[in-house]
Amino acid sequence: MAKIGVFICHCGENISAKVDCKKLAATIAEHPGVAVSVDYKYFCADPGQESIKKAIRENHLTGVVVAACSPRMHEATFRKACAEAGLNPYMCEIANIREHCSWVHTDQDMATEKAADITRSMVEKVKRNNKLQPIEVPVTRRALVIGGGVAGIQAALDIANAGQEVVLVEREPSLGGHMAQLSETFPTLDCSQCILTPRMVEAAQHPKIRLLTYAEVVSVDGYIGNFHVKVKMKARYVDMESCTGCGDCITKCPQKKISSEFDCGIGKRAAIYTPFAQSVPNKPVIDKATCTYFKNGKCKICMRSCQINAINFDMQDEFIELEIGAIVVATGFQVQNNAVYGEYGYGKYPDVITGLQFERLASASGPTFGKILRPSDGKEPKNIVFIQCAGSRDPSKGVRYCSKICCMYTAKHAMLYSHKVHDGKSHIFYMDIRAAGKGYDEFTRRTIEEDGVSYLRGRVSKVWPKMSKLMVRGVDTLLGKPVVIAADMVVLATAMVPQPDAKEFAKTIGIAYDEYGFFNEAHLKLRPVESSTAGIFLAGTCQSPKDIPDSVSQASASASKVLALFSKQTLEREPVVASNNEATCAGCWGCVLACPYNAIEKKDILDRSGKLIKRVASVNPGLCQGCGTCVTFCRSNSLDLAGFTEKQIFAEVMGL
Amino acid sequence: MTIQETYKARVKKLLASGTVKMVIGYKPGTTADRRRPHFIRTPEEADQLVLDSACITNLSGYLLSEGLLSDEKAVAIFLKPDGIRSINILAAEAQLNSEQILILGFDSNDNQVTALEGEKVEEFTTLIESIKEQAPEALKNPLLEQIEGMTPKERFAFWQGEFSRCIKCYACRQACPMCYCRRCIVDCNQPQWVNTSSHTLGNFEWNIVRAFHLSGRCVGCGNCDRACPVNIPLRLINAKMAQEVLGAFDHFSGMSHTQEPVLASFKKDDSETFIL
Ligand SMILES: Cc1cc2nc3c(=O)[nH]c(=O)nc-3n(C[C@H](O)[C@H](O)[C@H](O)COP(=O)(O)OP(=O)(O)OC[C@H]3O[C@@H](n4cnc5c(N)ncnc54)[C@H](O)[C@@H]3O)c2cc1C
Ligand code: SF4
Ligand code: SF4
Ligand code: SF4
Ligand code: SF4
Repeated sequence: MAKIGVFICHCGENISAKVDCKKLAATIAEHPGVAVSVDYKYFCADPGQESIKKAIRENHLTGVVVAACSPRMHEATFRKACAEAGLNPYMCEIANIREHCSWVHTDQDMATEKAADITRSMVEKVKRNNKLQPIEVPVTRRALVIGGGVAGIQAALDIANAGQEVVLVEREPSLGGHMAQLSETFPTLDCSQCILTPRMVEAAQHPKIRLLTYAEVVSVDGYIGNFHVKVKMKARYVDMESCTGCGDCITKCPQKKISSEFDCGIGKRAAIYTPFAQSVPNKPVIDKATCTYFKNGKCKICMRSCQINAINFDMQDEFIELEIGAIVVATGFQVQNNAVYGEYGYGKYPDVITGLQFERLASASGPTFGKILRPSDGKEPKNIVFIQCAGSRDPSKGVRYCSKICCMYTAKHAMLYSHKVHDGKSHIFYMDIRAAGKGYDEFTRRTIEEDGVSYLRGRVSKVWPKMSKLMVRGVDTLLGKPVVIAADMVVLATAMVPQPDAKEFAKTIGIAYDEYGFFNEAHLKLRPVESSTAGIFLAGTCQSPKDIPDSVSQASASASKVLALFSKQTLEREPVVASNNEATCAGCWGCVLACPYNAIEKKDILDRSGKLIKRVASVNPGLCQGCGTCVTFCRSNSLDLAGFTEKQIFAEVMGL
Repeated sequence: MTIQETYKARVKKLLASGTVKMVIGYKPGTTADRRRPHFIRTPEEADQLVLDSACITNLSGYLLSEGLLSDEKAVAIFLKPDGIRSINILAAEAQLNSEQILILGFDSNDNQVTALEGEKVEEFTTLIESIKEQAPEALKNPLLEQIEGMTPKERFAFWQGEFSRCIKCYACRQACPMCYCRRCIVDCNQPQWVNTSSHTLGNFEWNIVRAFHLSGRCVGCGNCDRACPVNIPLRLINAKMAQEVLGAFDHFSGMSHTQEPVLASFKKDDSETFIL
């Protein structure tokens, strides 16, 4: 005989303001099988939980329904309380009378009636609940970090320093990401490379970190604690073991005029190259697309120049397979292509550059050794116009969001410029100055007050060349006047956008993304570093625009999540998994295709002599995530989901 | 030689040479305009074979008779284009191995029967592609358009009227080659999702469930429609579902023996953002 306890929560006044909880308790008490029906102000609070436990023990309850808020809030809380009182936690169900009732209705009588329906339907379900036992799955204690920018490096180091193994995969020939390209960093003006390079080296030399550069993740299968990952090692044509990084090959390569990606096109590189002098690993790769040998079948000068024969033109892409327990995604961002703004002339006039190009000019190790020089004629500009929000906060041509860092780096650029060119003048066109952060407002104030940078609140409508100048027409909205400035150089504060392949990549590894291609967190406020897929975490700008401090914080947060997961040998999984009735299964394999987690296999049913009788679908409970897709697909109703069986759902519906 | 005689000779040869163990075709039925299935195992039995414009039943469902294909020996079968598409679906859903099926294809138009070139199901791909191209037109139906023009209330009343005659004989299911389930959902009584009694609710439940189960799978052969003893226009429902999947997913049932079922598959580049 069922003995169900029903606990009706007022949730302060959240529920009781619209639902007559006393009346509801009395109504439900009449329902067959209900042994206890009580109401209380806050069941989630300690005394509330204690009263549930007491009721379970005293009345030998066989099931519990808590009529309260959404199960997403407190299902775990109440199930735990039930377990403490000796009841199988899966014999506890939540009737959501807050989000589904009191919050959305105004009429008290009708809301109370609806609450009774919802509660009764859960009582009917719980009567058919089964005592489920959690599934234990082993955890592979090895983390994969994808992306070797500052976020990825931080996450890898944190995990490795805690003693766990890490595989760090970076698709470029070197670690570093965008931070390696920066000159000095706001708000403290530390030299970016000086603070980053030691961490790059530490990551590369760490005994617990296996570094795979020039490598890409091609597939991720499996589930939390047990991912199978395939990584493509792109052919470098240079043997990593024997190459000493002497650079002889680079000096001999006849192809020297290739636009350097690292220098954003301002500098040049050879066909065999390292992205920058401090690259980690400091071993070159041959760029197949520009190498003379790969184009014409003749050259191999580098091979002959290499004294230890490290160059091998027959190298092929290789694939390696990894067993991984948790993944940190730190694939970073790109800057938007400013050519969409025809009126600013980016791509047309060489002296209209992006903020990232300015970083390369200002960098001591950059193509101009830190001198600010115009790309067109190599002269020092005496007047620079900076245009903020060149792409951000612009739904028509750019992106709707704020890139968060541009106000700060533009202030930094103007400041660096005033330090380097004492007689230089700079103007910044801005919409608002957003400088929230430790030391940030002080930083922008300093730019204005100490470095004499002129801030003009308004937009620029056109940039055109006149003699050797760039004429910038804008408006100063505070004075209500149009302004025209004759500038030597224009710097666009380009929007931060997701990597161009972000959506494709998200699909490959199985995580969700937003309309732009930034990866989605499980909950913006409460679970900001978890992705929507268990065991995959997010760090840095792949999730949203961020500066370095935020990227690093999120990376450390992700690392701590990974370490928490690795703190145990096994992982307890919810036993909410599907199973198949082999007698009725028709073997149509619809479910095999429909399962988004590849959890359904084909199984042979043999007779005693080993002859095949039929083939049926079989669910692997370790892989099944309990989504229920297969159940809804199966025409013959052969599949069922524990915790949400057809019998339970049917009773629930009939209870309404 | 008439086409019937040509095919008769071919059937005899197929059986005599042992190329196939059985040929499934047609023989005279109870009345002059009806045909019944003929399971031909010997060349002599082929004498009774009939092939004319009255041969309209899609015979492919018989291939799934328990044990028929388990010895992996070839079986030949007379099929019109819709039946050929059924072979693709049954193969795609792992119910048979299309290698084992030898197709004796034919088509009939204006009481005229013509032979179709090819034996293996892949050989009919071009034909099926051209049928798909014509499908948007071919699936059109005046009554369907009339129903589409109704208000939801009128439409409900229309189908309530039609379904009210249903006696839950399940002849539609038995006649359908795609209704091969070992246990049909209506036979599932724990819980009983579909009411067995023939009242409004039960009849709606049954006919709507079956419509869903056949969307993206029905080839429009009309077996169910003809089997229904109370003349419910089942073909209309299935044609409507075929239009829907064609419009929404560019899916036309039975294109190939590796076609993925429309309701079970998803593409990574789907324009819907909820698909990861
Ligand atoms: C012009 C400019 C100036 C800035 N100035 C400052 C400043 O002064 N102070 C500050 O705090 N912040 C500054 N920032 C912001 C700073 O650059 C970022 O916050 C930081 O670089 C983000 O690091 P990340 O690791 O998230 O991404 P990234 O640096 O972009 O690193 C991502 C890495 O992942 C790799 N990757 C991408 N996809 C894959 C894949 N599929 N597989 C493997 N690897 C992959 C990339 O190659 C890259 O190495 C500035 C940004 C810009 C654009
Ligand atoms: S083969 Fe020639 S072009 Fe290619 S990297 Fe070597 S030297 Fe350069
Ligand atoms: S969908 Fe159902 S009938 Fe088809 S294989 Fe899966 S369990 Fe079997
Ligand atoms: S109606 Fe559905 S469950 Fe029943 S036999 Fe047909 S496809 Fe199978
Ligand atoms: S054949 Fe007609 S009467 Fe029989 S179950 Fe199907 S729809 Fe109903």
